[in-house]
Amino acid sequence: MGPYNSDIPTGSSGSSSSDSSSCGRKGSDVDGFLAGAGYKVRSSDLRQVAQRLERLETFMINGPTDISQQLASETIHYNPSDLASWVDSLLSEVNHNQPLPVSSSDLSEFSSDFHCMEDLLPSPPFQQYSDLTDTWIDQTNPQPQQQQLTAAVAAAAAEEDSGIRLVHLLMTCAGSVQRGDVASAGSLIDDMQALLIQVNRSCGIGKVADYFIDALTRRLFSPPAVCADSILENEILYHHFYEACPYLKFAHFTANQAILEAFDGHDCVHVIDFNLMHGLQWPALIQALALRPGGPPFLRLTGIGPPSPDGRDSHREIGFKLAELARSVNVRFAFRGVAASRLDDVKPWMLKVGPTEVVAVNSIMQFHRLLSSEQSLETVLAWIRSLNPKIVTVVEQEANHNQAEFLDRFTEALYYYSTMFDSLESCTVQLEKTVAEMFIQREICNILCCEGPARVERHEPLVKWRERLGAAGFGPLHLGSNAFKQASMLLTLFSAEGYCVEENQGCLTLGWHSRPLIAASAWQAVPDTAITAAAAAPAPHPLPVPQSPLVVSN
Amino acid sequence: MAEEIEKKAKVDVVVKFCINDHRDILVAILNRLDGRSLGVAACVCRQWRSLARHDWLWENICFPYVSPRPYDVRSVVTALGGYRRLYMVCLRPLLTGRNSERMRSNNNNRVWTRDEVQLSLSLFSIDYYERLGLSGGGASSMDSSSSYTSTSSLMFLCKAVNV
Repeated sequence: MGPYNSDIPTGSSGSSSSDSSSCGRKGSDVDGFLAGAGYKVRSSDLRQVAQRLERLETFMINGPTDISQQLASETIHYNPSDLASWVDSLLSEVNHNQPLPVSSSDLSEFSSDFHCMEDLLPSPPFQQYSDLTDTWIDQTNPQPQQQQLTAAVAAAAAEEDSGIRLVHLLMTCAGSVQRGDVASAGSLIDDMQALLIQVNRSCGIGKVADYFIDALTRRLFSPPAVCADSILENEILYHHFYEACPYLKFAHFTANQAILEAFDGHDCVHVIDFNLMHGLQWPALIQALALRPGGPPFLRLTGIGPPSPDGRDSHREIGFKLAELARSVNVRFAFRGVAASRLDDVKPWMLKVGPTEVVAVNSIMQFHRLLSSEQSLETVLAWIRSLNPKIVTVVEQEANHNQAEFLDRFTEALYYYSTMFDSLESCTVQLEKTVAEMFIQREICNILCCEGPARVERHEPLVKWRERLGAAGFGPLHLGSNAFKQASMLLTLFSAEGYCVEENQGCLTLGWHSRPLIAASAWQAVPDTAITAAAAAPAPHPLPVPQSPLVVSN
Repeated sequence: MAEEIEKKAKVDVVVKFCINDHRDILVAILNRLDGRSLGVAACVCRQWRSLARHDWLWENICFPYVSPRPYDVRSVVTALGGYRRLYMVCLRPLLTGRNSERMRSNNNNRVWTRDEVQLSLSLFSIDYYERLGLSGGGASSMDSSSSYTSTSSLMFLCKAVNV
């Protein structure tokens, strides 16, 4: 061990504290900011610790690489929270005798994550530290370099501190909003804006806080009309969200696999898509049907979507493209577009389901939009049931954003979207990432700012959907191992390793670091009890027609 | 002096054999190359380039060692743009990307499972579909000189390695 052992004499407050930079506490008590980061250093010892950290760093930068690597990976650090003795133990191992010249630019290279021991190796400089080190420097201090080092250490702790404070402020502000206390909410928002300046807004908690503060501001001060979305913009945002992260791809591929398995052995199949968008889900299904053993069936696709505002028949264009693809791979294909701005407006006769067709209903993040009134969802589920579909694929966000209390919604949304923004960090194409964030921002604003029928993003977790669909006469269909394998394979293509696919009672969820974010499930219409009773009795004549009328196309 | 004449004679013998005159040998050699080598071969000269663009050469490179051999896939792949494009757009990023260590056994002799074939084809069909939108319906008649930049939906396959 070096000259500095862990039994620090208590009376050594003395002269060093007046020179020590910024943390300002006199005496031998533990420095507050570093304590917040998990390190115990006495304020009086700060200067010596800083000097030693400097030496260690310059040695690691300039010294032989094998020793640096050994330091980083093989040394055992006993009690690393005691920063002083830890640094001394490292230095004594290095056996470094004379101080090397320090360049002040190296000081900014400390990573902000001090908890990670491997980060002793220099990492790319953080730009915001230069701002902070300026504010920390005392003009009277004769040793500016040590000042900066200590400042950098303190700045990292301060940033984490600011992050935690931001979260507390956000929750407090949400509580004020719920109570209707506009004045205090407004002042809290000002506080948060001030705090945001100190935090890195381009990643992590800073970015999430930025969006949530924006949403709170809108709720308090903007008219509700801000919730209205342009359809064309929505499509563009959706497309970029599709490209930037795997959630929608997972949804499409899993649903396609389930539909493919359900269509096995049938020659006349009909898929009803509740939100056509660009029709990106269907090329893969058409290709898979083309290659299925036994040859492709006659595929009919009905796409439901909002009407284009500029009069362009976008559904027809999508239909043409899909038909072109189907023609290339020799799949008989027919397309029909249904323009409806809300799902409640769709009536089953518009879908023209044939009597001998096998029907699959596909809903990617559409059912939750119907939850503003219980009646809407029940009506839609009833007419879906009346079509007697072979399979209903449902993909929904795995979150509880439909609670009546604003604060509960806010808390849940904060955690959910923090995770989602985290996962988005792995996207390397900047344009896609930015536009995908705008897509997510729209959702956040809708959840937090709108009420009543305008609030359409009413996400509910999988357990609730199971109840609702069970009550509506649907039974679960287990997604097979093929779907799971395909989802896992899809994830290996993405550069980030944090995504995980889990199976949950026959449903698949995709999440980031064990927090599920999106859940895919499949359902089938449970036969009415009348039919099962009739089927049990021996009947020489054909079975009676099911009680709910099938829609027959004219 | 005699040595020089002998050397010159030897040199003449070597020069008289030109692989470009023996198209069948050349094709037989190209048929056995892996993807990267075939791409490099296509840059040698105009004749090699025109030969290397034959799609059936690339068919052997896509999905080798799948059992059973997916011959039924050929018509679909050809319709969606050909094996060469399939390799460039879908398979090469998979093999050379960050996750290539997981997907590669020794060199390029990896065994593709039927599921991976299916997934690659699904991605390829999305690529075709997007190109339909870009070129206004002419994608099915694209010739071999078209560029091999990925359409936007498949950009995630081509992302730079991020460590």
